[in-house]
Formats: sequence, C-alpha cells, structure tokens
Amino acid sequence: MSSNNSFFGIPALLESGLVMAQSAMKTAQRRIDDLTGHSYEIKGAPVEGPEDIDLAVADFANRMSRFARYSYDPLDLSRLATASGEIVSAAKASFRNFSLTDPRNVALPVQVALSLGSLMAESALRGLVTFDVVGPARMPRLVSDFFEMFTETPVFAGLEYGDLIEKCENRLAVDPNDHRARLELARLLSKCGRYEDADIEFKKIPGGAPQYAVARHEAAVALYRAGRYLPAVKSEVDALHADPKDERSRAILFLSADKLGGYPEFVPEPFRISIKAGWAKPAVEFEDVAAKVGLDKTSGGRGSAIFDYNNDGYLDIVLGAAYGGTQLYHNNGDGTFTDVSIDSGVDIAVNTFATIAADYDNDGNVDLYCTRQGFYVGEGTLFRNNGDGTFTDVTESSGLKDVWGPAFTASWIDYDNDGFLDLFVANNLGGIFERKTPNRLFHNNGDGTFSDVTHKAGIDTLWPTIGGAWGDYDNDGLMDLFLSNGLGRSQLFHNNGDGTFTDVSERAGVTAMGFGSPSFWWDYDNDGWMDIGQYIWSDHDDVVYTLRHGEGPPRGQSMRVYHNNRDGTFTLVSRELGLNGCWGTMSGSFGDFNNDGYLDLVLGNGSPKLDRLDPLVLLENDGQKFRNTTFAAGLPFTGKSHGANLGDLFGDGRLSVIVAAGGAYPGDLLTTGVYCPKTLPGNYLNVRLVGTKSNRSAIGARVMLEASGHRQYREVTGGTNFGCAPLEQHFGLGKLEKIEAMEVRWPSGLKQRFTDLPINKTLEFREGALDWSDVYASARARAR
Amino acid sequence: MRRSLALVSGEERLLQNLSEQQKFGEPLPDFSLRTIDGQSANIGRVLNGKKGAVIVVWSSTCSHCIRYDKYFNGFAGKYPDIGLLIVSSRSGEDLEAVRKAAGQRKLKFTIVHDPAGTVANQWFTRQTPRAFLLDANGALLYRGAVDNYKYSDDPEFVAYLEPAIDQFLAGKAIEKQETASYGCAIQSVYYTLPKAL
Repeated sequence: MSSNNSFFGIPALLESGLVMAQSAMKTAQRRIDDLTGHSYEIKGAPVEGPEDIDLAVADFANRMSRFARYSYDPLDLSRLATASGEIVSAAKASFRNFSLTDPRNVALPVQVALSLGSLMAESALRGLVTFDVVGPARMPRLVSDFFEMFTETPVFAGLEYGDLIEKCENRLAVDPNDHRARLELARLLSKCGRYEDADIEFKKIPGGAPQYAVARHEAAVALYRAGRYLPAVKSEVDALHADPKDERSRAILFLSADKLGGYPEFVPEPFRISIKAGWAKPAVEFEDVAAKVGLDKTSGGRGSAIFDYNNDGYLDIVLGAAYGGTQLYHNNGDGTFTDVSIDSGVDIAVNTFATIAADYDNDGNVDLYCTRQGFYVGEGTLFRNNGDGTFTDVTESSGLKDVWGPAFTASWIDYDNDGFLDLFVANNLGGIFERKTPNRLFHNNGDGTFSDVTHKAGIDTLWPTIGGAWGDYDNDGLMDLFLSNGLGRSQLFHNNGDGTFTDVSERAGVTAMGFGSPSFWWDYDNDGWMDIGQYIWSDHDDVVYTLRHGEGPPRGQSMRVYHNNRDGTFTLVSRELGLNGCWGTMSGSFGDFNNDGYLDLVLGNGSPKLDRLDPLVLLENDGQKFRNTTFAAGLPFTGKSHGANLGDLFGDGRLSVIVAAGGAYPGDLLTTGVYCPKTLPGNYLNVRLVGTKSNRSAIGARVMLEASGHRQYREVTGGTNFGCAPLEQHFGLGKLEKIEAMEVRWPSGLKQRFTDLPINKTLEFREGALDWSDVYASARARAR
Repeated sequence: MRRSLALVSGEERLLQNLSEQQKFGEPLPDFSLRTIDGQSANIGRVLNGKKGAVIVVWSSTCSHCIRYDKYFNGFAGKYPDIGLLIVSSRSGEDLEAVRKAAGQRKLKFTIVHDPAGTVANQWFTRQTPRAFLLDANGALLYRGAVDNYKYSDDPEFVAYLEPAIDQFLAGKAIEKQETASYGCAIQSVYYTLPKAL
C-alpha cells in the first residue's frame, strides 16, 4: 500500500487547493498585520481574552459551536432576542481587546474575513482527513462524538459544568419533554461522576423517544461505573432492543455481564459477544500488583514517567492528572511506593498532560517538564530537581513561561549534540475551530535558560501534532524528528546538523493520513537501523470489531510500523508483522517484557468518552510477528489509558506495565494499574548511561548489545508517549548467559566497547570510564 | 510530638514553617473566616465541646463534593462528638453561588467562605474534597479522601475517613493516616481564564 493511499478517493487537488488557499490567506493576513502593526508572536495565557485576531476569531467560532450545542429550539422565535443577546455577548467576549477606534484596527473587517477564511480552510482539511480515515458510514457518529468532546473541554477545564447543568435544568423546567436537554443533563451528571443522579435522568427518557437507545446505553455506562452491574446489563438489553445494531452497547453489556460471572439467562443470544482478540499464548503472565505496591489510586490518568528522582537507584513514578495535581510516587525499594506529590512540590502543576523526565542542567538530578491541558490550551511547567527530594518551578526563570498552547506531549532532546538537553513541545488543537499552534523547539543555553528556535528550525506543520519522536534514522549521529499528527498526515524532518531541519516526508514515504497518536523510534528487527512506530487511534466501533474478530475491519487503521530501508525511505510493514488490530490507541510503550531479545509493545487505548472502557493491549514480538496475548496474559479492560508505560519497577528484570487510567472528565474515576510479570521470563541486562561530555541523561545515545551472536539496539529517548519511557535500557536475553560485547555511541561522538558483562544485573556506565557499577548492589550498600 | 492547641499562639502559628506539609500529631495552621451566614469561624470554634473535628476543603462547584452532600448532611447525627466544618475553597468562588448551592442542595452543614483558597494553600491542598480529622487539641489525625471514590454498593468500595474517626473515638491508633486525594482542582490552571460560557 502506498503511504499516500487515500481510502475514499479524496482528490489530491482538493487537499492541495485547501492548503494553498489557507497559505495564501495567511500570507495576506501577515502583510496587513505588518502594515497595521499587529503582532502574532505567541504570548502567554490570554488571561484577559484573545489578544490577536486569529485567536479572537477561533474563540468566537468555538463559542458559537457551544452556543449551537446548548441552545434548544433555535427556531423558536420567542427566544430570538435571548439568542441574539448570547451571540452578541460571545462576540464581545472574543473581541474584547479590539477597539474600532484603535488605528491599528482600521483593516479589522478584512483581517477578520481573512482569518475566518484561513481557519475554515484548516478546518475543512481536517474534515477531509476524518472523512478519508473513517469513511462516509462512520462519519456522522464520529463527528458527533468529536463535537461533543471538543465543545465541552474548556467548560470542564474551567469547572463550569455547574452552569451547564443549570442551563439544562432551566430548559427542562420550561419543557420537561425536551429529551435532547434531558439526555444532555444526564450525560453531564455522568461526566461529573454523579452516576446515580444520571441514572435517574436517563430513566426519564421514554421508549419511543429518538434518544431512548443511546440513553439506555449511557445509563448502563453510569451504572457500570457505579458498580451496579445487573442494572447495567438490563439497561443495555433495553438499549439493544431499541437499536440491535449498536456494537457499543454490546461491548458494555459484555463487560457488565463479565463482572457478574457471565451473561444472565435473560440476555438474548444476538446481544451476546465473545472476545476473539488477545488470546494468543503468552510467554509471560502478569498479575495486578497496584494495591500491593500502593498505587491503586484514582489519578485522573494522563502521562507517566518512570525515573529515579532521588538517586537512590530505584525507579520512581510520576503521573499527570486531569483536574488534580501532578503525582510523584517514591519507590521505597521494598516493593512499595509512597505518595510524595505534596512534599516534593510537583503537585502544584495541575492538569498535567505529559510528563518528561531528564537532567536538563546536568547537575546529576533528573528534572521534570509537564505539559498542561492538551486539548485545551495551557502552559507548561519546568521543575528543577533540587536534589533533596523537592522540586522548584523554574518555568519563568528558564524562559519557558510563555510556552502557551494545547500541548499533548513534549520531548527532551539534544538536537545539536552540545551536551545540553533541548526541549521540543508538540501542539495539538485547542478547540473544534482552532488553527494549528506551532510546535516549539527550545534550545538549552547551558545556563538554565532556553531560547525559542522554532522558526529557524523549520519544523512548522499545518497538521495538529499529538507526538514528536526523536531518533537517528540515517545513523549520522544527529537526532531526526518524526511527527505523528492527529487528523492529518505524518511527517519526517531530517536534522541537517546546523540547527535546521528538512521535511523529507514524501521521499521517506511516511505521509499516510490517520488519527495519529504518539510515535516512537525503535529497532524492532534488531538490524541496527531505527524504525518508526506510530500509534493510531480508532473509532469505538472498530475496537469492538477487533475484539470480536481478532483483527480490525478491512478498511480499519491499525498501528503503523515503518521499516527503515537504510536509504532514507521506509516501508509500511504493520500488516506483515501481524499488527492488524484497530485499537483506540492513545499512547503506549515498547520494551522486551518477555525477555526474549525482541521488543514487545503495550498499547494504552480509549477516548474521553465514558463508554470507552477499552483494554490495554499486549503484543509480544517473537522476531517474526506480533501476537496479541492481552487476556491470556491476565490483563483486564482497564479503560481509557494515556499513560501506558513499561519499567523494571522492582529492579529484578521484570518489566511491569503501569497505566494511569481515566481522567478526561472529573467523573472518570478509574484507578492506576500496575501489572507485573509473575515470573522472570528470561535473563536480562539493564543499562543506565551517564553522560559526562554528552548530556547527562545520555538521551540520543545508541547502545548495541551482542549475546551469542544475537544483536539488539536501543536508543535512549527523552519522551515518546504521554510521558517518557525510563532512561534505563532493558535488554532481554532469554536463555543466553553470555554477553560478548556492548557498544555505546554517545551523543558526543565517543564510541565505547565493553566486554564480559555480567547478566541479570542493572549496570551504570559513565561516559569515558572503562568500568561500570552495579546499581542495586550500590543501593543496598548505601542502605546498610 | 503532640502540641496543645492552647500552646500555639497566633503569632507562633504564623511563624510555623509552611514550606512543608504538616505532620501527623501536630496542629494545622488556624484560620479566621466567615461562614456563609456571616458568623466567624476557626478551628477552636469547631472543636468547642467536641472530641475532635473534621474539616473538609470543598467547593460548591466540585462534582465530587456533591456526591458527599448526603453523607455530610447526616454527619452530625452520626458523629455528635465530632465537629464538622466545610471550607468552600474554589478560587474566586462567589459567596452568592455558595449560598445558592447550599439552598438548592439543602446543605445542613456549616460552610465557611474562603475564595482566596487560604486554608487550602496553607494545608497543601490542590483539589476538592480533601478531609482533615483533628483531635480535641487540633492535632492532625487523618488527611485525605472520604473514600476510594466508589459508590457504597460497589463491591470495590472502601471508606477511608470513617474508619479513622471510629478508631479515634475508640481510642485506637489510626491505621491509615493518609490517603491520596483526587478531585476538582481548586484552581483549574494557574490563572483564571475568561469564562467559556
């Protein structure tokens, strides 16, 4: 399949026409801006309302979309005056900073028209992508889902849901039979975690109402989440009688019945499903240890990072949280964790989305950067690790105060190999009508401050970016950038080594459209050339289809693996590798959790919607194919999972899966899951690198390990999903007992070769030093 | 070391080091706030004539707090010896909005209005609801969530606050002094943005 394949035949002319129109209008805008003296530099949070015309136009469009959603009977002439009043006040709120008496606004009408035009062109492009990816049959429901999620994100982020509930209640006081308002009210209550109140409202929607089937389905979700499984089953049976084709209802019915030990007798056969996916024989089985280790908390799950914040050798865990503060769990070294969020000071970063950990100031203590909000605009936070168990917010003094944007993810990367970690921030979309906020690249000046080098770097993109992954695909020692764009085409930027990047996507063959989730570089086939992995999000119906059939629908989009052809081009090989499931993947991680010498995958899946109680997915790589072992290995349906990660939490060679689940809505109260292999599935070696000339976290270092002729390659990354994988590199060795050699290519260019390494240890190597240390032996000695 | 509330003067209290979270067995920084009916309130008043008190950092807009309305309405009946004070802490929360919520939701407990989030700040609390159990001397006994955010008929439901109160009243050591709290942010972002609606 060509990477440019367009399933539904979107004419290339239409896409390029829209791109050109958008570009032309933007250029015209900038010319007028130059003449009138307007500035479009990205500023900090628009606390006093939008400060430029683009933001104001987008803000107004989003206010109008909320108005359209929450207005009832728009054709009712008696409400015309109220409706006009609401539109005028929305316009006032969006354009509050623009006075017609300001001479700079002399061309305001033209500027607004151009801004609206370019915004609509961008929105049309995203519409085209959506159509292309899901097709005409699925389009209406998906658009409805997106509209629901995007219109209300700022309402929930600003905790204004009380106003919406009141709005619905007022409407119902006027017309108790307005079932649309009733459904909205019940949904709101459910999203607030008031499941029982929601159930009461859902019940008031009578059979025969157009909203009945969906009301029964959503009532079942609320009941399931309240732990009332039998009423949930009954509710879904009602839903399916009303709409026998609804696969989402079948999925929740299955989950509710499963909690009861199986389908009750009264559930008709056609409503029952069996799960075909996830039953491949696993090399390793997992057990749920979250409660045992003290991590079974409601976290408002976002990204996660696994790192040693206090240099005691043991890997600690940080979790981002929707609505709440960032959470830090200290690894006590005895198999348990202690919540130190407040004492460490990281809890002040509320609404963290991604968390990335690395030592940006090379002082020996691993620091944290948190992106905030994601879909809704927010400001990142840089925490400097003080080395005494506490962190200080240095966002302002480091020059990162105005990193304002809807950032999902970020990465630490030393793109110029100067020994200091730079920061890349990937921006998504802030609303249903939103123009792309540029991705940002910040150069580390080496003195604790950063400079914005975005423009010089040339990494602009029109598409909303979910994740940026840095890896050296052409083995020239410089880290290149792959962008996984949601609602768009993915892109590859080659690092030219002079602070600039060249878009080589077309030549590389990686521009396929899709709902891109984060991506990563890995050498899945151990050939010494970094390949690309890209998680792809899927619609709920495709996920249920995959669960039932063991593979996705014929036109469904599975996660992508691009094999590196070693000549600057890539070949899409997902299907050949057996990656044919369509999971609603939002994040994930890779690691050799079965210790057989090949990198495996764990996928975190779902969406903000409360009925997306998707499973985690485990994919074991046997060197030829990936096999889905999820349920056979003992993993449950965890629900919406951003922060799926893998790390050797107990320092014994077993890679645990950690997942921060839930979180999009205040009422999404899923708890963090930790799943540990029941047994050590094979020999291993964990490698930690400490840069001295290179950046201290050794991000960008390449490690080759050779055991009995079998080679494996790793590249140290500083953020690839909604957080970051451990800096520690885990190598599975299976039954092999002898390591012939390990080679490290440090970002500084230094190459080192080590021989006669022990197995089943966690070793630390310092750049330039000839020996190594045993991390846990040192930790135990210190403890004594 | 336990310190008697009476031994900590207002001045001394101000000098307490607020760079780290308060320890168990030690008093929390006091406050002087008005209830939504205009009465003055502080820790001493809640404890007056009681064996201990529960103080909850709370918000009238918090969707999680609403779920505990029934529980806190029945609290005085269930625990006559334990005072209860709810601190309305959401940043910028309007007094009228709190009064309106109290009226509409028929809230029977005492609510103090703290729109600057002073208590939450001093007590290292970022989200609502978060409960604090104090003994008669104002010493901290338990801090955290009311329960594990499950409904009481959920097979996985676990209460946190009640066992702590019961153990305290029975003269036993508190088994679980602290649980992680989760809920609505007291400030959703560092700054307050223009309203979306």
